[in-house]
Amino acid sequence: MDDRQYRIGDRRMNEIMRRRLTRRSMLKGAGMGVAGFSLASFLAACGGDGNGTGGGGGNGGATGATGATGAVPSGFDIAEIYAGEPGSSVNFANWPFYLDQSKDETGQVYNPSLALFKEQTGIDVNYEDVINSNEEFFGRLRPVLEAGDSTGWDIIVITNGRIFTALALNEWVYPLDPSRRPNFDANAASWAKDPFYDPGNTYGMAWQSGITGIGYNSDLTNGPITKLDDLANPDKVGQGMVFMLTYDMPDFVMINLGIDPKTSGPDEWKEAAAWLQMQRDSGTVRTYGGNEYLQELQNGNLSACMAWSGDVLYSNIWLLYDTLEFVFPEDGALLWIDNMMIPAGAENPVGAMQVMDFYYDPEVATMVTEWVLYMSPVTATRELILRDADTAEEEGARGRANKLRATADSPYLYPDEEFLSRTSFGRALETDEEAAEWDAIFLPISQG
Amino acid sequence: MAEEESVVGGAASGGPTSGRRTLGRRRRLVPYGLLSPGGGYLVVFFLLPLVLMIYTSLQSGGLLSGGFSFTWDWRNYSSVLSRYEAHFIRSIAYSLIVTFVALLLAYPMTYWIAFYGGKWKSSLLLMILMPFFVSFVIRTLQWKFILGDNGPVLGTLKGFGLLPDDFRVLATAVAVVAGITYNFLPFTALPLYVALERIDKALVEAAKDLYASRWQAFRKVVWPLSLPGVFAAFLLTFVPATGDYVNAALLGGPGTRMIGNIIQDKFLTENNYPEAAALSVILMIAMVILASVYARILGTEEATRAAAAV
Repeated sequence: MDDRQYRIGDRRMNEIMRRRLTRRSMLKGAGMGVAGFSLASFLAACGGDGNGTGGGGGNGGATGATGATGAVPSGFDIAEIYAGEPGSSVNFANWPFYLDQSKDETGQVYNPSLALFKEQTGIDVNYEDVINSNEEFFGRLRPVLEAGDSTGWDIIVITNGRIFTALALNEWVYPLDPSRRPNFDANAASWAKDPFYDPGNTYGMAWQSGITGIGYNSDLTNGPITKLDDLANPDKVGQGMVFMLTYDMPDFVMINLGIDPKTSGPDEWKEAAAWLQMQRDSGTVRTYGGNEYLQELQNGNLSACMAWSGDVLYSNIWLLYDTLEFVFPEDGALLWIDNMMIPAGAENPVGAMQVMDFYYDPEVATMVTEWVLYMSPVTATRELILRDADTAEEEGARGRANKLRATADSPYLYPDEEFLSRTSFGRALETDEEAAEWDAIFLPISQG
Repeated sequence: MAEEESVVGGAASGGPTSGRRTLGRRRRLVPYGLLSPGGGYLVVFFLLPLVLMIYTSLQSGGLLSGGFSFTWDWRNYSSVLSRYEAHFIRSIAYSLIVTFVALLLAYPMTYWIAFYGGKWKSSLLLMILMPFFVSFVIRTLQWKFILGDNGPVLGTLKGFGLLPDDFRVLATAVAVVAGITYNFLPFTALPLYVALERIDKALVEAAKDLYASRWQAFRKVVWPLSLPGVFAAFLLTFVPATGDYVNAALLGGPGTRMIGNIIQDKFLTENNYPEAAALSVILMIAMVILASVYARILGTEEATRAAAAV
């Protein structure tokens, strides 16, 4: 726990963390894109008939594939995949700065939670933060997966969306073994269980989740920003001062226009596109993109932008940027989930399942959440963060205690049902034709 | 090239005796031996990807229906051409402006270094090359900082009331063109410097002895002799600048996206490999056509000499 004190007490460390955050937001940019972009066809199972196939996934039966659904494809036999003892090491590919870090006595950076895992199981986790974008990472793996070879990874982290779907559809990921995740069964938040894009958590277990909302710099806006329309109002946000997340914006706009993206069709898409075109014509937009908006917001180049919860929260709670605000827009926000998956051909699926379930131990999940500040799939982490806050207080680390309390109290980390009901996932595109139509409607706005 | 030809020629005219023939054959093989590492490299890393790219550009299908397959789908070409025509035109226009501005900036600079640099020549040249020591992306990101709405430049000018408060450079075409110009300036300067450096200064003196004015000496002697450098500088700047995507992505705004950005989007975020490949093929063909038209206008001899100069 010294590490956390080190992190929080020290001002310079905060500075380092700020850089870390900036980089993360940059890198996450591309990834989050996918969530919102949802070129994802979320299997036939999403939306209406999600429950029907979800049950099938839950028991881990190796049969019952019904085409492009969340059911376990017939090509895989769970008993066979997860036979035998775990191997001696697990190769874990994740996004940068997405796991607790600390320095040992010699100044060497390590991951405390992974050290704990090694202590408990004797399994080495070779953790590498190599995923900079879902598409790019997938692009590297695809030829290997297509050839039926091992990618070298036992765990990869993929956002709900098109790549997630493509992996599942093409049987490029192993179905998970439901009998090997007791912590998950006991501790996973309701939203992490049985998500619509992955009924029965057949292929993935949430790593972290977050919300796409609005971030703004109160120095540069004319009054508080509260709703989507403010982003198209030059009197509120100025000319050329708004940043839009290219791949999140179609869903984000639909949600705010009162359209449920999940059931939307081309007519609704055009409605959202019309709003986006209106916004572009209003002259408020500075850039369409996916990264480093936070830095721009801090520099004063942006008055307002679409933003991911963790990034702005971090600026606000931990870095004390008090003019930066994160807003849950009046009419709703976009929700996304990053998921741990086991690529087909993985050499140590048993060990991988152990690692994945390990992170659903509340104590372990707390280690992660206090560091990454995204929405944890383990709700019990909240109490533990408050406990750590009390401990910090007793130790005299007042500032840290306050920050931990602010973290635990943030609705963006621990949303209630009402809060979640105002969020929505992105559209699940089910066919290439749909994806092409979606592209034809939305891409000209950002690419023009 | 000329030397290699003479080697081959020499071998061909060799005598008929067997000993010499072996020697001749060996000599004849030498150029191929010399060419093979580079040639092999090009086959594996240029020709093969090129073939694959063309192959990909004729595929159809999608990620959600199990991938792409080769179907001679020429529609990829017509479809991307009609949709992204504006981006092609924009890219070429930006790139032309960039190339001319870069030439205007680099020519006097390298001229001065080559003719008057003296013992400082290499240091001065090094200064031009300095940006190369910093990552391309970092350099461009720094521009964001320098040109920020309230950054060191605009912020100061606004502070003095010289610019209106809502004036900005970032997220405009000006920022994109300026960024590319800056990033490609060394590509323009180096070939120009090589060409100007090689000019025999005595020729300029001779021109003056023949009562040429300084301007006439420049126009009739220096400029024609530096043309190979100009040609090379043009190609080395224009071709990569047209395909650049970093500057437009980092410094641009709505309405400044270049064809490189579209290709990147298609490949990395849309996973539409056939259209990405088709756009790349079109861009390549357009560049080859433009470059050969340019070479034709300037003369092939100049082109060869320019190539030699580089």
